[in-house]
Amino acid sequence: MRSTRPAALALLALFAGCARVSPDEAPLRLSVAAEGPGTRLALHPAPHFKINARLVPALESSDGAVLRFASGRLTADSAYFAEPPSVLVSGRRAEVHGTLRASVCRDDERVCRQVVIAL
Amino acid sequence: MRLYPVLFTLPVIAALATGALDSAGPAQAQGPEAQRRVALPNPPDRAPAPAPAWHNTSWLNTDHPLALPELKGRVVLLNFWVFTCWNCTNTVPSLVDFDHKYRDHGLTVIGIHTPEFPPYAGEHDRGNVERALRRYGIEYPNAQDNDSKTWDLYRIRYWPSFVLIDKRGNVRYEGYGEFHLNDGSYRTWDQRIRELLAE
Repeated sequence: MRSTRPAALALLALFAGCARVSPDEAPLRLSVAAEGPGTRLALHPAPHFKINARLVPALESSDGAVLRFASGRLTADSAYFAEPPSVLVSGRRAEVHGTLRASVCRDDERVCRQVVIAL
Repeated sequence: MRLYPVLFTLPVIAALATGALDSAGPAQAQGPEAQRRVALPNPPDRAPAPAPAWHNTSWLNTDHPLALPELKGRVVLLNFWVFTCWNCTNTVPSLVDFDHKYRDHGLTVIGIHTPEFPPYAGEHDRGNVERALRRYGIEYPNAQDNDSKTWDLYRIRYWPSFVLIDKRGNVRYEGYGEFHLNDGSYRTWDQRIRELLAE
């Protein structure tokens, strides 16, 4: 069974390098899904956004551990992820806590912007 | 299997609440026309103001930290960048070209290398920055801005960004976004550099 519901995980998020964007232009969403005995976290860019593969997204936990997202497929220039980067964490988790960092680019821009989200 | 999508709408609210989106700097994109213009250098939107003094201590491609007072009489192009930014490294050939063409005519190009991520990503590491300079053929001075103080001082918000300072030490032009040799943005910056060199 697969269900989808909004999760109130984002407590605070700040853009460093932020043009005016409407809420429906939010650059990323995080999915949390059971996979075997673990949980897979994946980052999905919104339409017109790309995730910087040279600076792979990271999830920092409060104990100092850092999980890095990865994907086997990159764009031809190796600059961006061609599929959602993900990371498999141990155990089943319904919630994720920590700080998520990603560097994203919008198709119609030629700049990098940082996204930092406290989960 | 459960899926928890998170739409990150709060950042916009947070940014608006703090006024971050209304601070001085590049014009904000509004509508399709503005979006087409968003990556282009922007004209000055205020009277020339003295360039803030940076205090970076870790420098590469120079035998001493550069300071504004010693650069009086020269035109200075600051490039805020980081080697993990594709848009930044794509712009480097143009900056190397400016350096080659105009260094002897009074231009000093300075890279301000400002990391996006914490140190675990490797952007703070001097050796990594040195390797990037060699890889991209960068011979102009670069400052490590690991604490982002110069980034904040100049109210920068994008990688890459540019600040052009005249011979009297005033900020005259600011802009951001990747550009390439001989494209429209390159020609605009080239013209601005020549204008300030001629003053």
